[in-house]
Amino acid sequence: MNGPLRFLCTACGKCCHGQLPLTLKDAFAYAGLFPLCMIWTPVQRGSRDFRMARELGVAVPLTGGREMVSLIVPTSFIPSTYPCPALVDGKMCGIHREKPSRCKAMPFYPYTEERYQAGYLRPRQGWECDVSEAAPIAYDGKRIVLRDDFDIEKNDLRDQVPVLRGYAEHMLKYSPTLPERLWQASLQEKGGQIVTSLSSLLTATRHPEAAEIASKQLPVLNAYAAKTSGDPKLSDFHAYYSGWAKEMEYMSHAIPRGI
Amino acid sequence: MKPMQETLVAGDSGNAYRGVCPCCSGLPFDACCRPILEGKPAPTAEAQVRSRYTAFAVKSLDHVENTHAPEIRADFNRAEAERLAEECEWENLRIHQAVEEGDTAEIEFVINVRRNGGLIIKAGRSRFRREAGQWLFVSTKPAPHLEHAQSTKINRNDPCPCGSGKKHKKCHGAAADGS
Ligand code: SF4
Ligand code: SF4
Ligand SMILES: [Zn+2]
Ligand SMILES: [Zn+2]
Repeated sequence: MNGPLRFLCTACGKCCHGQLPLTLKDAFAYAGLFPLCMIWTPVQRGSRDFRMARELGVAVPLTGGREMVSLIVPTSFIPSTYPCPALVDGKMCGIHREKPSRCKAMPFYPYTEERYQAGYLRPRQGWECDVSEAAPIAYDGKRIVLRDDFDIEKNDLRDQVPVLRGYAEHMLKYSPTLPERLWQASLQEKGGQIVTSLSSLLTATRHPEAAEIASKQLPVLNAYAAKTSGDPKLSDFHAYYSGWAKEMEYMSHAIPRGI
Repeated sequence: MKPMQETLVAGDSGNAYRGVCPCCSGLPFDACCRPILEGKPAPTAEAQVRSRYTAFAVKSLDHVENTHAPEIRADFNRAEAERLAEECEWENLRIHQAVEEGDTAEIEFVINVRRNGGLIIKAGRSRFRREAGQWLFVSTKPAPHLEHAQSTKINRNDPCPCGSGKKHKKCHGAAADGS
């Protein structure tokens, strides 16, 4: 697949459902819109994305001197059947100009090396991306042609690596069973995930605007807790939202420490 | 995926502390953890572990925060602790080993808490350091012989994961069966 590949986003909104991976920057900027958490995804040694995961993710020591690699991705944590809260009338992005860099960089995916991006230019079932002759060339000779947004997202992900590594260190220190749980997740066929809270990130990084971010998150989480209540299929989501809301409630009142 | 978050110690909203101390010492609350929560220095590192557990049970988390060693105090996720104190019911604290040497100590403990009806067992070994007469929490790790206790479903007749040698139903499982 070395020939030129065409792609144009028609803004159909079909890919605007379910979990949305974010940069830290975007997550904080949209704390008043998305229900946030951190998602850890182990990446297998030898897999196509392992190199990128080692660059953008964290190393997790296992017993016996071994090590695994995990991505930690700030995420808008939404059931796969739910639309993005920014989506208007199921079709239009309500924050189009300011949308997260993840959305601007579509269809490319920053946790995969540039030379392996071809597969992402084939729209998934139901997506209305234009890949016809009318669309501009987006990818050619294993190089991304329309690359500004891809580079912006990638640079933001590179810049945040030290913060994520500090966060991982904190979590490994205070959640001693985390490596074991990540290991279990990595054995799952579809690739498991471990979810950790925004409160743990704000605490670990001593975020100076923790209280402000928490007060923006609180109504978002309360709204999602209300939306998901009473749906047995979404009881896990409901439990997450209502538990995190309690944490954000406390954090929004907390007096900054360190004085 | 089941929601699950971890913490070092966790707490209950019960009224048990009106009489007997929630830390399972068998002593009255007034003669056990209460004075420590009110500011009296814990006489031993073990007493400090007990009082920190009790602090969760009676939702008095200032005590937990203040008994972190200064270099890790800002690591304490108070918001998560407050939530756990509210969501969990205390079943049991057992101290399996307490070794004090001068101004340092290692305490091995097992905690049973109940959350949304499910039993969670936390086993760990924590290090403490004495500074100006106060025993301060320094770090924790899973207790070695208990590493798999969290993820395994325990049978009533299996040996208790706390390592006591007794059957689970006669040991930490007893409280769980009773309620
Ligand atoms: S922010 Fe806009 S483009 Fe991104 S997922 Fe939401 S609706 Fe879609
Ligand atoms: S599915 Fe394709 S065309 Fe539709 S919004 Fe997403 S990237 Fe754009
Ligand atoms: Zn007591
Ligand atoms: Zn036992």
